[in-house]
Amino acid sequence: MLRVNNIDVYYGEVQALWEVSLQVSEGEYVALLGANGAGKTTTLNTISGLLRPKKGNIEFLGQDLSHVPAYKTAEMGIAHVPEARRLFPEMTVEENLIMGSLPKRAKEKRKESMDWIFTLFPRLKERRHQEAGTLSGGEQQMLAIGRGLMLRPKLLMLDEPSLGLAPFLVDEVFKIIKKINEEGITILLVEQNVMHALNSCTKAYILESGRITLQGRGKDLLSNEHVREAYLGI
Amino acid sequence: MSLFWQTLICGLLLGGVYALIAIGMTLIMGVMKIINLAHGALVMIGMYITYVCFHYWGIDPYIAIFISMPALFFLGCLIQKYSINVLIGKESILPENQVLLTVGIMLVLTETMRLIFGSDYKSVHTSYTGTSFFIGDVSVSIPMAISFVIAMVFTYALHIFLTKTDIGRSIRATAQDKEAAILMGVNTNKITIVTFGLGSALAAAGGTLLVPIYYLFPDIGHAFVAKSFIITILGGMGSTMGALFGGLTLGIAESFGATYISMELKDVVGFVIFIIVLLFLPGGFKSLTKR
Repeated sequence: MLRVNNIDVYYGEVQALWEVSLQVSEGEYVALLGANGAGKTTTLNTISGLLRPKKGNIEFLGQDLSHVPAYKTAEMGIAHVPEARRLFPEMTVEENLIMGSLPKRAKEKRKESMDWIFTLFPRLKERRHQEAGTLSGGEQQMLAIGRGLMLRPKLLMLDEPSLGLAPFLVDEVFKIIKKINEEGITILLVEQNVMHALNSCTKAYILESGRITLQGRGKDLLSNEHVREAYLGI
Repeated sequence: MSLFWQTLICGLLLGGVYALIAIGMTLIMGVMKIINLAHGALVMIGMYITYVCFHYWGIDPYIAIFISMPALFFLGCLIQKYSINVLIGKESILPENQVLLTVGIMLVLTETMRLIFGSDYKSVHTSYTGTSFFIGDVSVSIPMAISFVIAMVFTYALHIFLTKTDIGRSIRATAQDKEAAILMGVNTNKITIVTFGLGSALAAAGGTLLVPIYYLFPDIGHAFVAKSFIITILGGMGSTMGALFGGLTLGIAESFGATYISMELKDVVGFVIFIIVLLFLPGGFKSLTKR
């Protein structure tokens, strides 16, 4: 479904990614893990077209994304739930959800999608007329995921959805991601919470200082010595 | 007491038109994060279009709004697409340079009008110019009242547009978080163009509504840049509702200044309020509604 082929990405003169390659197949739940500053967010931003690779390319459903403008990736079925949620703070919960369903295909199902999201996150239904900026951190994360789902995406990319949340909410978020995946939506998850992510994903990549250093099934990486030492502290 | 009410109503009616012009500026400021210093010149162009419609073709100023608004929408789109957005693409250019560019645009527009129409003051005389009706012993100018009502209708229509349509929501989303808007599939480049067009059309509407009340000359735009800027700061940058209240406040303040202090000092009142707001309420009226 998604193929990232040997991309080099720069911020001005500074190189952030070195020959990063990864594949996500339909229905998979792939995690991209690593420490702060390893280049995880950079990778996602390049996939959604906010950044351009200097070398290499990205294919989605067989189509080369090199010359596709960033705003068109949503239309193609990629929903990107960005780091720090990036909601529209002065818009209501409902308006934020509507903003997630602008492309034609998603717009046709707007009402239906919203009902689906309200059953997934009943809290959001209670607060539908409240401004997003006034929600709690957990509610904001639910809304950010909900806004991504409004697209009826083929691929849902989540950038650190557990960041800044209380431990019981972290469990909740991972449960929901699993559930979304089981409904047939392909997931690409970026996380610092390596333990949680490895436990739930089907495949994982470890990114270290801009390079992919390890890849494999989640369960296998859990028993990998380097992973245990560097990320799990065991 | 009747002088007080007279002053209040006069200020309120004029303030409504100021608000419409300032809402145009605040929209552009919200999305582009720049002050459009050509905004007054766009008001002026709107006024001249109305003048030409009336003078050469006998079209009533209030009908001419249907000509001046589309014309300025188109002009605004062109300005954004072929000058301001071109500048954004250049790296290492500071955002201030876009503001400087709007000064250049203002000069070009102003001097072009001077070339065509000269620097003379012009005005339009309709059948209702100078007519008024009475509420108790307060006289209300008919053209001012019509202009106020139309300005409020447009403000309300804009509010509906911004909250109930996908393009309107996309404009607000782009103003609040441009990158997130892109991820939602918003073509933000197109949104900047539409927004500048819309802001210009509102400036034109304000200009047209002023024609039956005011006189016009090429440099009149400067006054409206200053007023719009004051209103935008008063209301809180990027806030439509704030701009509405800011506009009404400025209109009323100027009116009281003119009546109770002196005609020459009425603009000073606006600037004094501006400074007071900056000192004590830097977020404008918008900041009062939320903590």
